[in-house]
Amino acid sequence: MKIAFTSAGEGWDALIDPRFGRTDFILVYDEDTDTLTCADNREIKQVEHGAGPKTAEKIFELKPQILITGNGPGGNAAAILSKMNIKILVGAGGMSIREAYTAYQNNQLKEGA
Amino acid sequence: MKEIVCISGKGGTGKSSVVSALSWIARENLVVADCDVDAADLHLIFAPVARQTEEFHSGIKAVIDPDKCIGCALCAQKCRFDAIVKSGKIYEVQALDCEGCGYCYHLCPAGAITLPEQAVGQWYISDTRFGCSLVHARLGIGADNSGKLVAKVKNEAKALAQRETKDFLLVDGSPGIGCPVISSLSGADAVLMVTEPSLSAQSDLQRLWELIQKFRIPAACIINKADINPDISVQIKKWLKKVGIRHLADLDYDTDFQIAITNGKSVTEVNYAKWHPIFTAIWDGLKEIQ
Repeated sequence: MKIAFTSAGEGWDALIDPRFGRTDFILVYDEDTDTLTCADNREIKQVEHGAGPKTAEKIFELKPQILITGNGPGGNAAAILSKMNIKILVGAGGMSIREAYTAYQNNQLKEGA
Repeated sequence: MKEIVCISGKGGTGKSSVVSALSWIARENLVVADCDVDAADLHLIFAPVARQTEEFHSGIKAVIDPDKCIGCALCAQKCRFDAIVKSGKIYEVQALDCEGCGYCYHLCPAGAITLPEQAVGQWYISDTRFGCSLVHARLGIGADNSGKLVAKVKNEAKALAQRETKDFLLVDGSPGIGCPVISSLSGADAVLMVTEPSLSAQSDLQRLWELIQKFRIPAACIINKADINPDISVQIKKWLKKVGIRHLADLDYDTDFQIAITNGKSVTEVNYAKWHPIFTAIWDGLKEIQ
């Protein structure tokens, strides 16, 4: 299972970025290979409009089965994500990546979108 | 640190007056961000003195290098905005007409056209007469507010609130439900909606709520000028109850608001006896929203 996190930093101790579209990083944990990879999304700072759909495209390319984030995604981003087979879990704002993963394993995150 | 965003859907409901009054109440323990950058007006009340000023770049416009232009006229013929004119033997871009589409850049056989980012305004971190810090921005004529600029102002304000160890970030958002509003909602912990009893405000409030729900942010609402149309006020309150938005207060129509704005003050300063208890109760209610 590949799990994507919207993240404010790199690594397990980074905090979840509660924002979807304007998240600084997207971390992907591959449970099968036990590897955590980091996709830099900071170029989004230069995007004036439509940050949500842009980040959704990036998620699309990373092909995770699960997305863990804080508030979002908004309507336009959700429309893109709905085209891929992905489960969206929200309410992880304020947690570290490690805490969010544990919360996911314990079924403590709400399903969104 | 809790991030509270104040928005209204419809403009002119009194959002910035409410933000000013709440900021005055909580001035020891918050940072304020004015993200209504198109029509920023908190500075009129806060009297900010900038301690940090930065350029803001956004959007692109075409520029023709006169030394490289071969005068072929292709760009001028193809520009859909008629933004390129002849100047002697060569061509130049009329900056105000250029939409930054970049078509000419791809066409130019001489490689004479570049698309530099535009300096469209400035953003500031300021000290204010309230004592709290204000993060705000000022755009040049013709420049648009954007999700990008709102995200910039908010990120700076958030980092500042953490550096200053304040418990609250209060964000004055812009009207509507477009990109700048979405950007102001993104990552927020609570939303304060300021509405008024008019059909357009009621309709905009409902559209705003549709948007807020997508981000799953808890919300509270103030009905400003509630007594100017009691019937619609009642309807709005019924609706708030039905959808689960906490109704924090009805505010009377009161000329204290005009007096406050005309004098560059918050209503809590103009009529302390009346407004201090009301806005203290609103702020206390807002702190509980989660």
